[in-house]
Amino acid sequence: MTQPLQEAIVVSILVSTIRIMTPLLFSAMGELVTQRAGIWNMGVEGTMLTGAFMAYLVATLTGSPWIAVVAAVLAGVIMGLLIAFMTATMRVDHFIAGLGLNLLASGLTLYLFQSYIRGRAQPTFSGFQDVAIPLLSDIPFIGPILFSQRALTYLALVAVPAIWFLLYRSRYGLELRCLGENPKALDVKGLSVVARQYIAVMLGSAMTGLGGGFLMLGFSDRFLADFTAGRGWIVIVALIAGNWKPRGVLIAVTAFAFLESLATHLQVVNAGVPRQLLLALPYLASIGLLIGLRMRSGQPVRLGVPYLRE
Amino acid sequence: MLWTAASFVIAVVAGLAVSAALVATTGADVPQVFGALLQGAAGSPKALMTTLIKATPLILTGLATVIAFRAQIWSIGQEGQVLAGAMGGYLGAQLLAGLPPLLFFPGVLVFGMAAGMVVGWIAAVLRNSFAVNEIISTVMLNYLIVYLLSWLLQGGPWGETGDTVSYHQSPMLPEAAFLPGLFGNARLHAGILLPFLAAAICALVLSRTPIGYEIRGLGHNPVALRHKGVNVGRTVICIMVASGALAALAGAVELFGVAHRLRPDSLVGLGYVGIIVGMTGALSPLGTVLAGLFFGGLASGAVYMRVLGDVPASLVPAMQGITLFFFLCAGVIARYRIVKVAAQ
Repeated sequence: MTQPLQEAIVVSILVSTIRIMTPLLFSAMGELVTQRAGIWNMGVEGTMLTGAFMAYLVATLTGSPWIAVVAAVLAGVIMGLLIAFMTATMRVDHFIAGLGLNLLASGLTLYLFQSYIRGRAQPTFSGFQDVAIPLLSDIPFIGPILFSQRALTYLALVAVPAIWFLLYRSRYGLELRCLGENPKALDVKGLSVVARQYIAVMLGSAMTGLGGGFLMLGFSDRFLADFTAGRGWIVIVALIAGNWKPRGVLIAVTAFAFLESLATHLQVVNAGVPRQLLLALPYLASIGLLIGLRMRSGQPVRLGVPYLRE
Repeated sequence: MLWTAASFVIAVVAGLAVSAALVATTGADVPQVFGALLQGAAGSPKALMTTLIKATPLILTGLATVIAFRAQIWSIGQEGQVLAGAMGGYLGAQLLAGLPPLLFFPGVLVFGMAAGMVVGWIAAVLRNSFAVNEIISTVMLNYLIVYLLSWLLQGGPWGETGDTVSYHQSPMLPEAAFLPGLFGNARLHAGILLPFLAAAICALVLSRTPIGYEIRGLGHNPVALRHKGVNVGRTVICIMVASGALAALAGAVELFGVAHRLRPDSLVGLGYVGIIVGMTGALSPLGTVLAGLFFGGLASGAVYMRVLGDVPASLVPAMQGITLFFFLCAGVIARYRIVKVAAQ
């Protein structure tokens, strides 16, 4: 292989790594907020799927990807409201609430989708285009990778330090982490635990829904059943692998995105490996990662434990 | 008891009401849709038979859910185990071809169940030895199995290839490998008896045996169980293996009784719906049979509904999700009691 060709392939792999990262990063940061507040939300997959579907619906109806993004965020908020109602108010087991939400989302989106298209050809939309940052995008090698992406990708990269700041440098973040570690302390101070849980889950799910929305608007022009294909679960694995810390989660998400990008490129060059093995790589890696990483020091103590006032 | 029953009845009514609202928002005729649903589920002997056939795998995956969830092991590997069961059964059918039916059918079902048991065992070991949450490991295993089956059928050894395209399904099984029909009716395959047998066994095991005690104990108070000297890791393995076997049986029965060829679209979703069936059945074997028949009826009615009511068949999974949601709430509300407190 010639030198320029090799470089072009490396750049292409890294460009799509960053792009694949974007939805995962939004959803992972959202789930990080939710889980640091002590809610083991297993409904990431369903929330992302609903966000993706709403983005599709609104994008085809209005033709504007930006209105579609707003719809995806709103869909996330509604899913968050449901999760918060089930876990904080009804105190259903967190795992069950999340599983129920996933099943509800997969059934509802499929029904609404089929009712929407009604046998006609599926309407498509044009999603986001690349936004090249002037000057910076002209830097060789780094320019096309980092500074010639979709607008929301820049937002996702900014979201990591923003969430870090929110969690560790703001009063709200202190209270939020306290929800996950020792909710009684808040209750004793006269601060409402349930209200804070609602806010945390709705904020987190809004970002998760945004991730699903970007998955639709940045990668596709049509909806399919099970569109998110397990990415919500990858997000949860990334959280565990990142030990519930923003930087760790960022590294885990990058690793997953790189793997997926590599698999996609291998598929194109047809390396003689079965296509299905490449598609299965992220899931295999998840299991391997969970076996290898046994450090759980960052897990909130009260994660998944319903708060009951005595 | 009355309050419990009342809260679940309210859940069903609320679920149906929300489903009706959903149908109305998409512009369909609500009475017509539900009429078609009812007719397709129980309107004729043929409809009842279809309900029974559709309920068969759902009850089995529902029981797989019950065994695991009663111990608070949140396995959602049923989906992959169904596929594994069908794959194991298909492999068995090739190895055991030519045996007399009395040996062949139990043999292939055992092959199928063994495949599901292996999947359950893997998740149990991951949980016991590596503290990997079983929800996540079973989801990952589900995807791995989907891709394994996809490879076997497309590019792998089991695919049926036409002149130019491959169909993503296996060739038809020989007719000797079709599960025999009951009462001289070929569609009413003998496999429909299995879920009722399995439910009876599950009920007995849960209420009358030491392992059943351990399953319930693990759900209520794992610490107490450990202090009692029970090897909890071993119990987890037993539970996951049994749950895997039940889910895989669903896949094998579907293969030999209904589809007669390895085809993913006849199997996809059976595991996830099984979770809904087990949960709405309040995690009891009898409740699961009833819930399975209810959801089997919905699946059977869906075909009718699509034709008569002009509503997509995916209304049924949406209704299942909605019903589950209300049942979860009802389960919580049922726990509340009005208690008389003596005056102070």
